[in-house]
Amino acid sequence: MKAIEVEHLSKVYPGGIRAVDDISFDVEEGEVFGFLGPNGAGKTTTIRMITTLGLPTSGSIKVFGIDVRRDSARVRSMLGYVPQAVSVDGDLTAYENLLIFSKLFDVKKADRPDRIKEALDYMGLSERANDLVKHFSGGMMRRLEIAESLVNRPKILFLDEPSIGLDPSSRLKTWGYIKKLNSEYGVTIFITTHDMEEADELCDRLAIMNQGKIAVSGAPEDLKRSIGGDLVTVKTSARPPSTVPPELGSVTEVDDYSLKIVTPNGEAALPQIIDHLRNQGVAIKGISLSTPSLDDVFMKYTSVGRDTRGSFRETREARKAFERRAR
Amino acid sequence: MASVTKFVSSALTIAEMEARKIRHDSSELWMRAVQPALWLVVFGSALTELRSSQLTEGNFTYLQFMSAGIIAQSVLFVAILYGVRLIWERDMGMLTKLLSTPSPRASVVVGKTLASSVRGIFMAIVVLGLTLILGINLRLDPLDVLGVFFVVILFAMAFTAFSMTLSAFLGTQSRMMAFGQALTMPLFFASNAIYPISLMPKWLQYVSEVNPLSYVVDAMRSMILTGVYSQVPFDIAAIGVFTALMMVSASLVLRKLVQ
Repeated sequence: MKAIEVEHLSKVYPGGIRAVDDISFDVEEGEVFGFLGPNGAGKTTTIRMITTLGLPTSGSIKVFGIDVRRDSARVRSMLGYVPQAVSVDGDLTAYENLLIFSKLFDVKKADRPDRIKEALDYMGLSERANDLVKHFSGGMMRRLEIAESLVNRPKILFLDEPSIGLDPSSRLKTWGYIKKLNSEYGVTIFITTHDMEEADELCDRLAIMNQGKIAVSGAPEDLKRSIGGDLVTVKTSARPPSTVPPELGSVTEVDDYSLKIVTPNGEAALPQIIDHLRNQGVAIKGISLSTPSLDDVFMKYTSVGRDTRGSFRETREARKAFERRAR
Repeated sequence: MASVTKFVSSALTIAEMEARKIRHDSSELWMRAVQPALWLVVFGSALTELRSSQLTEGNFTYLQFMSAGIIAQSVLFVAILYGVRLIWERDMGMLTKLLSTPSPRASVVVGKTLASSVRGIFMAIVVLGLTLILGINLRLDPLDVLGVFFVVILFAMAFTAFSMTLSAFLGTQSRMMAFGQALTMPLFFASNAIYPISLMPKWLQYVSEVNPLSYVVDAMRSMILTGVYSQVPFDIAAIGVFTALMMVSASLVLRKLVQ
């Protein structure tokens, strides 16, 4: 079953601004799906429509087969949403945050105590359960937000910039929890991010949005491969041969002491290239492999630097979230 | 039936959430109690020297007369600025989160306004406590006090919902703050809170006729001062209609805040 089916979705704001322009995509049940794009590309607008917070101008959205316009409450009962800004309530304790939201998500009364205890233990928050959340660090707040998903067990979880403003170790931990949520609890995960490393690390598939349209989508590996192959650079002590067998790739540059070969799959080709050169009697002094990153994919498909409506608010929200988490 | 249960449980959960926050930190409410205290102690004490029966509609002291008005005013101030808090919650991301739960939108409005009425009751208790300290003679029998609480609940819910509606159109905390404050004084002075309607010029009397605050004050004054209940059912019906209208409008526009 498809977790999300979006067909010909558009959103036009008053004043004629087309924030989302006729997009279609699917998210499979059980996968981690990344939604990438520059500020103002329409990512947040799209999420708001899927989570029933905003109404589409045209097109259809189904979440686990249910139309968001027909039965929005039922759709909301299946989803969890962690917005970019801090969404846990600082004026309540960690325990109270989990309790209140478990009630709002109709978790059965008998299940609540066990699930809350389990979630707090799992996220390492048990000792601070009765402290007000406003005294927590940014990483702890994020953990509490993920703990909420453990209690409420949504079928699909939306994470808007999950690691923004976190220090490197909290960021790594957050990634670990997101992966576990997906693999152990089978939660389908929908992430938006600007962080290409994060997207590469977490996502099974991703779509890159640009100016309201989906510029490209696919598995990270395929996207990287699509913009060109891996580059193998070999340093030699004497002039290398100027050609290699075609199954190893093609030579793009050669001079007295080095050789550059472009190949579709660098890791696999590397040992074969070494063997080939040794058989030719070439002494290898060094060898390096560079693969295209998601950054390259992102730059190719988006028009970064162009300011569009909504980017001010997004930036403001992101910075505000950052400030609060950084305290 | 299931949806009714869900509605009620959502509303109560949201009210519980706010009540728990008040329990953790009630300092804001105590600070808000300073203003009604000053109205009674400074303004009321000075004017109570005037023993004009015209000013107090009967044989009462001015402090007796204004007590119901000051309860209404303190509740009004708490309720009408609720929108500032709501916009803050929107800015922080908490409102977005709340609206992405399966709770019906109207239950969010009912829950939040119920919580606000808890604050309102707190203010009413503070003002009634002050009247005891100041030795103002009121009819504080339990049924009358319960009646006052009932009116305060309806009234606080109405103006909280009104404030939520306004906040959806105003959109920023500072605009909401400015507008809320600009509204409170005219509402207060164009009512029977601190002087009888009969003293007003004709045009102002018409304004006070449509001012919900007049009905609130009239109902409370009947209960804790005059003991004449003939107008009370009409007053409460008028407030009830106003409350229902405001709740509906807040439910309709709430989504605007997060778009």
